[in-house]
Amino acid sequence: MRESTIMFLHYVTAILIVITGLIHLLANNDPVIGATIKANPVLYLGNMAIFLAALLYHAFNGVRVILIEMVPDRCWTKWISWAILIVGIVTYAVGLQVLMVALGFA
Amino acid sequence: MASEEAKEYVLPPEVLEETMKASEELWKPVRKIKFRIYKYNPRKDYAPYWEEHELEVSRGMTVLDALLIIKGEADHSLGLRYSCRMGLCGSCAMMINGKQMLACQTRVLEAAGSGDVVELRPLDNFPVERDLAADFTSFFEKHRAVKPWIIRNDDVELNNPTGPYKQTVDEYARYYQFTDCIKCGACLSACPTAATDYEYLGPQALAQAYRYIVDTRDNGLDVRISVVDTEHGCWRCHFAASCSDVCPRGVDPAQGIQLLKKLLIKRKFGFKPHKPAEALPAKVKAEKKG
Repeated sequence: MRESTIMFLHYVTAILIVITGLIHLLANNDPVIGATIKANPVLYLGNMAIFLAALLYHAFNGVRVILIEMVPDRCWTKWISWAILIVGIVTYAVGLQVLMVALGFA
Repeated sequence: MASEEAKEYVLPPEVLEETMKASEELWKPVRKIKFRIYKYNPRKDYAPYWEEHELEVSRGMTVLDALLIIKGEADHSLGLRYSCRMGLCGSCAMMINGKQMLACQTRVLEAAGSGDVVELRPLDNFPVERDLAADFTSFFEKHRAVKPWIIRNDDVELNNPTGPYKQTVDEYARYYQFTDCIKCGACLSACPTAATDYEYLGPQALAQAYRYIVDTRDNGLDVRISVVDTEHGCWRCHFAASCSDVCPRGVDPAQGIQLLKKLLIKRKFGFKPHKPAEALPAKVKAEKKG
């Protein structure tokens, strides 16, 4: 994947974090809106799944950028990217499972 | 008649005297300044050290003038790079009191300010060649990597040119400021990303990549993308803008990099940097003249 695609997704996830994070905050802090959102648990789970994915992508890509700059060797750059991708996928899988249990889907 | 006209342009003696006095005043020693100079020869010295020289400086004296006096009178072994002495070649860029500047364009008193010490060392983020001269090998390799020349696909036109390529003033204005780059290395030296990431292309090379990509005569976007759109390409710029702050020619490389990023994103949605420039046939030119 080209670096421009990775960074474009980085910016897109930043916007997604704001939107889905706002829904998450409203669901848990505003009784009226919260009740409406939580009335449809599948949609709420979907929102949380997107929020988690966007958050992890944005955070792990940030860490990848820092590591690439600190260890600029081209060989290490590839290893860092792959390692971060694997850690990200595993974290997402664990996070999603936790969400499903917490929202009563498993 | 001719001599009468010429007489009008001769300065009156009192004005001439005043001008001469002002000129003498400019070069009269006014203050003693201590020069703290970085000395290091990687082939000989175990570690860098500082050498101090005191010099009486005049109002018009530049740092390069002072260095040449020191080299001529006190330390013949002093290593420095210079050429044009008028801020055009970019050879004499160095750290003057901690800031990237051209030695030939910086007056000693301006650099010293209210103090009496001027500290000189080679550019940051560059290996030292000797004393104040930095090693530009990697810098020029990065510059060459972005293919800083016009790339065309029309071999027939290139081999048998029918006339110049069309380019409007607006199209020229898009990249004009980046043509002012003198490759002095001040921008790369000030870049915080380049300080840690030595593979990073740097502001100079990236701004030049942008300069050629938006040139309507150029068709080399796809060739350059493999160089600039990488892990160590334009996306590593965090827009500290220190490169633009130190550029002695007033170029804004930080802006060039942001525009390059925008261009790469827009390309994903099918936008092209410019319409390809057509050759302006010599025939049409002749008709216009007629």
